[in-house]
Amino acid sequence: MKTKHLFNKIYVLLVWFCGLIGLILPFWIVGYLLYHGIRVISLSFLFDRPRGFPLGSSGGIFPALQGSFSLILIGLLIALPAGIGGAIYLAEFLKNQRFKRTARWIIESMAAVPSILYGLFGYAFFVVTLSMGISLLAGGLVLAMVMFPIILITSHEALEAVPSEYREATFALGVDRTEWILKILLRKTWSRILAGVVLAVGHAVGSASPVLFTASVYYTPGGFNLFHPVMTLPTHLYYLVAEAISFDQAYGTALILVLGLFVFNIAAMILRRYLKE
Amino acid sequence: MKMVFLKSKNRFGNQSLRDRLFLSLSFFSLSLGLLMLVLTVAFLLKETGFPFSRVFRFDLIFSPGWSPLADPPDYRLGHAWISSFYITGIGLLISIPIGFGIGVFSAELAPPLIRKILQPALELLAGIPAVVYGFFGYVTLVRLFEHFFALSTGETVLAAGIILGVMMLPFIASTSAEAFRSSFAIYRESVLSLGVNQWTLLSKIVWVHAFPGLLAAVALGFARGIGETLAVLMLSGNSVAVPQSILDRAQPVTALLATELGETMVHSPKYQALFSAGFILLIMVLIVNFGILLLKKKLFSRFFTS
Repeated sequence: MKTKHLFNKIYVLLVWFCGLIGLILPFWIVGYLLYHGIRVISLSFLFDRPRGFPLGSSGGIFPALQGSFSLILIGLLIALPAGIGGAIYLAEFLKNQRFKRTARWIIESMAAVPSILYGLFGYAFFVVTLSMGISLLAGGLVLAMVMFPIILITSHEALEAVPSEYREATFALGVDRTEWILKILLRKTWSRILAGVVLAVGHAVGSASPVLFTASVYYTPGGFNLFHPVMTLPTHLYYLVAEAISFDQAYGTALILVLGLFVFNIAAMILRRYLKE
Repeated sequence: MKMVFLKSKNRFGNQSLRDRLFLSLSFFSLSLGLLMLVLTVAFLLKETGFPFSRVFRFDLIFSPGWSPLADPPDYRLGHAWISSFYITGIGLLISIPIGFGIGVFSAELAPPLIRKILQPALELLAGIPAVVYGFFGYVTLVRLFEHFFALSTGETVLAAGIILGVMMLPFIASTSAEAFRSSFAIYRESVLSLGVNQWTLLSKIVWVHAFPGLLAAVALGFARGIGETLAVLMLSGNSVAVPQSILDRAQPVTALLATELGETMVHSPKYQALFSAGFILLIMVLIVNFGILLLKKKLFSRFFTS
């Protein structure tokens, strides 16, 4: 009986220990980056291009910020309507349960495919076969493939969660499906759909592997041209570390990337709260 | 009731012209997405040089000997697969016990306030980009190892494995927490009322019911880990030798792809070898994902049939 109590105490202690690791680890990582990176960040770091010799050892990250934004913009332009449209088809029009499950399984598989394989595909298909070259367009299309399944899955779950009483009541009034989808269904679910979009964008902004050989180069002066390559935040951080150019600049870039994602998430959360009331 | 209503008009209920337009548009967007996955699989297979490809020559793919500059060049990929499994294995060894611990903690032992903080903390951990993990590991673990083990470079299997373990942690923790939570909910009160303690509750009863969910958590962690690129690329040292110990450098498959693809002539034998590695990685992840689906289904039917 005594050994049983001892086991129980050790077990409770170990579980608490694991829980504390889970609590402390994320704050430690973010705090570490904050501690080392905060003195690098200034207005000129945000709004200047990389300078110095070797290039990137001083100056800022503006072209990388701009490139990441442009890539996400192009990606969302495709993934947002396609993802929400696909979710509407699954939730509203597809009645065959077997097809529905199969489609869901395929989409979930898409979300599970490692992003470097989308990079591989994008390189072979968009960059080489369709001869887009290493460009903003090719990278945006690859990011659309990364974001599409995430947006579709979260939107589909949001749409399915709407109680069927709403649907029955609406159709009983003789309203057609378009009106029902646009005026009621999407208005009731947009907050959850937005949360999914935020998740997808956060994932896409931070991943370097899909754009590594489809969109990004070590340096561009910036600008928006679909057929030119761009700099991105994650690949910029990778090059800074891999070529050992400047760890200070790398701390700053990593911190901007993490804080940017953080602020983006908080902003979306506030937007949802604010518009709900 | 709903179905009766729907069938009373034509196939899709009260359908106007713009309804039909909407239907076709949404069908188009779904099929576009499905088409992209099929296209990805087909195109990766085509780029391996299919049908004369090396992709089915498992002896070439899984035996070590990569030296593309030798004469004749050798494109066997074994070193990369060994490195991948080695690093992912270390990652799992770290993240499974801690992840399950967090799962039990959040399902049962955590006070409500801490549980409320734990959830966003894990989301934060999952939201940190891979390249930032790679950088973080580089400035902490790699330097620590260089100092501690007196290595010429701290970029090792161990460093990559530890960081990979941290990256898998939130996925394993939240998936296992879900399984533990539903299992505890069923058994907690009836079993504890018999006078047994928490440890007996978990070790004799709860884990059995949670087992499919735990297996799914491990599979999810594996699928995440084997496909992870940037962190292992920055921490494994990118050496083409087969790693002999955890303090050796290595080059997992994803790092090999990221390093070599940009410098490889399109449709050359080396290019085809790289794509066959990518294709097998894809198939591997799809199979694991299918397994997770089956496990979830089992979990689901357990709840709603008994």
